Amino acid sequence: MGLLAWVIMGLALWHYTIFLPDRFWGGIVGAFLASIAGAIATGILISVAVHGIAIPGRHATHVATVLYAIPGALVGMALIYAIGAARERAGAQLADGF
Amino acid sequence: MSDRARNAFVLALVTALVLVSLLVTVGIPGVVKAQKTHLGLDLQGGTELVFQARTTSGLPVNGTTLTDTINIMRSRSDQLGVGGVDIRPSGGNQITVSLPNVKNPAQAERVVGVTGQLYFYDWENSVIGTNGQVAGPNDPNVTGGLNAGTPAFGISEYEALARAAKRPAVPACAKHQRAGTTCYAIESAPSGSYYYVNDKTKTVLFGPEPTTAFLAADIKQKNARLPAGARLVYVKPGTVLVQATSAPEVAVPNDFFVLKDDVKLTGKDISNPQVTTDPTQGVAVSFGFKGNGASVFQAVTATLAKRGQNSSLPGAQANLQHFAVTLDGALVTVPSIDFNQFPFGIPSGNGSEITGSFTYASATTLANVLASGALPVKLDEISSQLVSATLGRQALNQGLVAGLAGLGLVALFLLVFYRVLGVIAVSALAIYALYFYALIKLIPVTLTLPGIAGLILTIGVAADANVVIFERVKEESRAGRSPLNAITAGYRRGLGAIIDANVVTFMAAFILFILSQSDVQGFALTLGMGVLVSLFTAVAATRAILGTMGRTRAISRPSALGVTKGRRQWTFDFMGNSRWFFSLSGTILLIGALAIGARGINFGIDFVSGTQIQVQLVRPATPSQVQSTIAALHLKSQGQSIGQPVVQQISSASKSKRINDTFQISTKTLNAQQLGAPGQLGTVEGALNQRFGLNGTPNSTSVGPSFGKTVANSAAVAIIASLLAIAAYIALRFQWKYAVPVMIALMHDLLITAGVYALTGRQVTASTVAALLTILGYSLYDTIIVFDRVRENVQKMQNAAFSQIVNRSMSEVLTRSLATSLCTLLPILALLIFGGATLKDFAFALLVGVASGAYSSIFIASPVLTHWKEREPVYRRRRARIAGEHGGLVPAYATSGAAARETAAVETRRRGRGRLSEPVRPDGGISTGEFRELVRDLHAEPLQRTPQPKPPPQPKAQPRPEPTRDPTADALPEDVVMPAEEASRRRGASKSRNRRRGRPR
Repeated sequence: MGLLAWVIMGLALWHYTIFLPDRFWGGIVGAFLASIAGAIATGILISVAVHGIAIPGRHATHVATVLYAIPGALVGMALIYAIGAARERAGAQLADGF
Repeated sequence: MSDRARNAFVLALVTALVLVSLLVTVGIPGVVKAQKTHLGLDLQGGTELVFQARTTSGLPVNGTTLTDTINIMRSRSDQLGVGGVDIRPSGGNQITVSLPNVKNPAQAERVVGVTGQLYFYDWENSVIGTNGQVAGPNDPNVTGGLNAGTPAFGISEYEALARAAKRPAVPACAKHQRAGTTCYAIESAPSGSYYYVNDKTKTVLFGPEPTTAFLAADIKQKNARLPAGARLVYVKPGTVLVQATSAPEVAVPNDFFVLKDDVKLTGKDISNPQVTTDPTQGVAVSFGFKGNGASVFQAVTATLAKRGQNSSLPGAQANLQHFAVTLDGALVTVPSIDFNQFPFGIPSGNGSEITGSFTYASATTLANVLASGALPVKLDEISSQLVSATLGRQALNQGLVAGLAGLGLVALFLLVFYRVLGVIAVSALAIYALYFYALIKLIPVTLTLPGIAGLILTIGVAADANVVIFERVKEESRAGRSPLNAITAGYRRGLGAIIDANVVTFMAAFILFILSQSDVQGFALTLGMGVLVSLFTAVAATRAILGTMGRTRAISRPSALGVTKGRRQWTFDFMGNSRWFFSLSGTILLIGALAIGARGINFGIDFVSGTQIQVQLVRPATPSQVQSTIAALHLKSQGQSIGQPVVQQISSASKSKRINDTFQISTKTLNAQQLGAPGQLGTVEGALNQRFGLNGTPNSTSVGPSFGKTVANSAAVAIIASLLAIAAYIALRFQWKYAVPVMIALMHDLLITAGVYALTGRQVTASTVAALLTILGYSLYDTIIVFDRVRENVQKMQNAAFSQIVNRSMSEVLTRSLATSLCTLLPILALLIFGGATLKDFAFALLVGVASGAYSSIFIASPVLTHWKEREPVYRRRRARIAGEHGGLVPAYATSGAAARETAAVETRRRGRGRLSEPVRPDGGISTGEFRELVRDLHAEPLQRTPQPKPPPQPKAQPRPEPTRDPTADALPEDVVMPAEEASRRRGASKSRNRRRGRPR
């Protein structure tokens, strides 16, 4: 259940990337993958830190559990954005060189 | 074959099939009998049991073993004397048994589900004493003496296990056993048995199982956990535990015996078991012997007689020896052998008999089990369902009403929206319904409630195919084609989208059928069949009808096709505003995620195990009264109190009189009737009957934890398999980049549905899972329709930005998309209003899923595709060029096409209808080359363009401009309309259109 909640949270946050310039590495799909992966990763990490090695089940998923996904989704998307922007700059510099 | 001939052939085929269908469904009174409709248990009442098979050897269950098991179960069920029994494998190791009109699941289980392993032991020479050795004839404290095998001489299971575990392993006798080596005729546990015990409480927790893996699986299946301090105990081959009594309600605490597993005879050695009544012995099971069974029987009884005689002291009471008969690890009877009467053993020429405390019914059951033979596997019941005939009939009526209402609503919509075309579509729907009903009877398909839901949904599928084509026909007609040409072109161009959409729905149904279980399979089967039949009726049949009618006066005017004068043209900037729709979806998902955290998802007993009872009460009651009545019984499930059951009032037949209110009660697992005792289920029903009065037999469903896990696992596998198959198909038919947005949109739909379920607190059942899986296939319908047009426009609009292509495509298909969604939602709405509890479960999930699917195809999938495609160099260059031409902004729609459309529209209005040029082949539409040529002709004099503002200074890394600009870019189908004057001028010219277009000779 925790995993489902994290994926939904990752997907929900990804929807707001539409307001950002499309500089994500891999575009909007890259941002999607990063958001979902990040959400799951921090969901698991925080959950392990708080509850031990287990993905929260039906009865162990609370509002706080759902929020574990937020930092991961944001960091994931920020990382992909930074990579995308850096690659874009590198491409522009390369074009200037020619 | 010419069009006329083809249409005539299809019409003849349709008519012939209609006649055959009528024959199958109605028959001819006195000549041909109508085929019978096979109703599932949920519609006619009865018992359904689901068993999980396990081998006694610890090896996995293979297909042959499962087939053998099913054959034996079929043979047993035949002896139950009920017709229409259905026993089928489900999943890799499960067997579903449907017994119509059987009202006692426990009795049904005893007949078809027991393993039926019958063993004969030399009692005194098998019972193990405290020293771990065979008790022998002179230890009545262990064997029971004259009262051999009675529970009073038994010990606790824990104690018996401790005694058995000390025994050494003894190998099973091989065919050519070396003389002098000790071996036993081991049958029941050739590899030994594993148990878990709790030394503190001195109880046996789990077991016996042939391997530790099986023991772990058993614990998992019982949804239990090993307590701290649980110890694994292994009983080596050659020793078994038997229980003096098998029924829990008559069991005494210490009724176990430890036996040397040296079997003298098995159930395989006996033949022709029958129930006999004897004035002295009472009811017994008599039988004959097969093979050398008779001689073995006589030899063993002779040994017993001789031993009894030798161990009896003169003048004392005879020390009679005993022959124990066990069935599935429980003692059935332990008869003594009278050495005075049978000094040389019991002659077995006339067979023998088993006596015990049998009732006639239990003796009959034993005889049946022995007659059909032992099952090669052990069966664990993981789900049982009892449906009352009354509630089944009620569910059938609700399903039929929902189906008719759905059909009526869709028909009404088609008639209002498409007029003459609507009449044809409604006729096609009626033909579809007839064919489908005939197929159900002919195959035959067992019609279940989920099957009816699938059937009703396919009404929407069938209507959707018509809507897609009719909208295309209308488009062609608006473009100036004659009705006949519009019909021809509409079918030709709309067919691709329909095939793609239906293939995807069919794939989802197929995967669902292969990977899912029980009811979900019925749903998938009807959905898949419906897709195939609808392709024939909605495409081939309507095409033939329209093709024939197109030459008549009935469809001589565009208005007959539903084409209105004022053209509806969507000019909304779908891509520009997508951010707001994304925000909306994101917010809904956020709320859904938080709802899952705060409220969780309300899983039904299909997933969490337990018992669900549906009762109709005669006297007024409230849920809390029903709850307190059950709680007052203080029932226990697996040693724990069942606590407060969850009670929901699901319908009220008459609010004024409050009679026959229907309640659904969910509790922890309750056991059913056993050996004449009412069981916990019966106790609950009795209490409710006493206080409120029951109307008919209640429905009850008991589900074990492993069943829920199986359902959930098979659903997860089906979802993943469907996604992969659908993605592969879209990648093949479109482009792999089209598949990714489709997957994202599907994920959006499924997760929004999950969020809505959490938010509303509605129960998630196996039906919900089926509906969710259907959403997979069905929400793709819209997406494929939109993407199909995008694919088409990408070819046409070779200078437009991708966002402009998508905007144009959306504006063209939005009406069509809304109409198809409405066509699907109407029957779902009928299900939601008129269906019973199960159908409403389906309908709610479908309603959310289909609405979300229609939304996501327009506002999620297409924007994602746009964003992704616009990163491709070709579209980047186009976008930069267009932005340069428009002061840094990219217009929502391609401007040259709009100008051309305006010109064409003005010309059309001025010159009237019917004076437009047509393609070379009236029935064939136009090719891309023709299309471009015609538009080039239209623009022979360049359009007056508004002066473009000076482009802003170009950035340093300027994308390379495209070499030339094609004036045909962004033209609509309407743009191909050739003004009549131009056409007549051309006609007046010396060269024909064909010659002008043909290659120079």
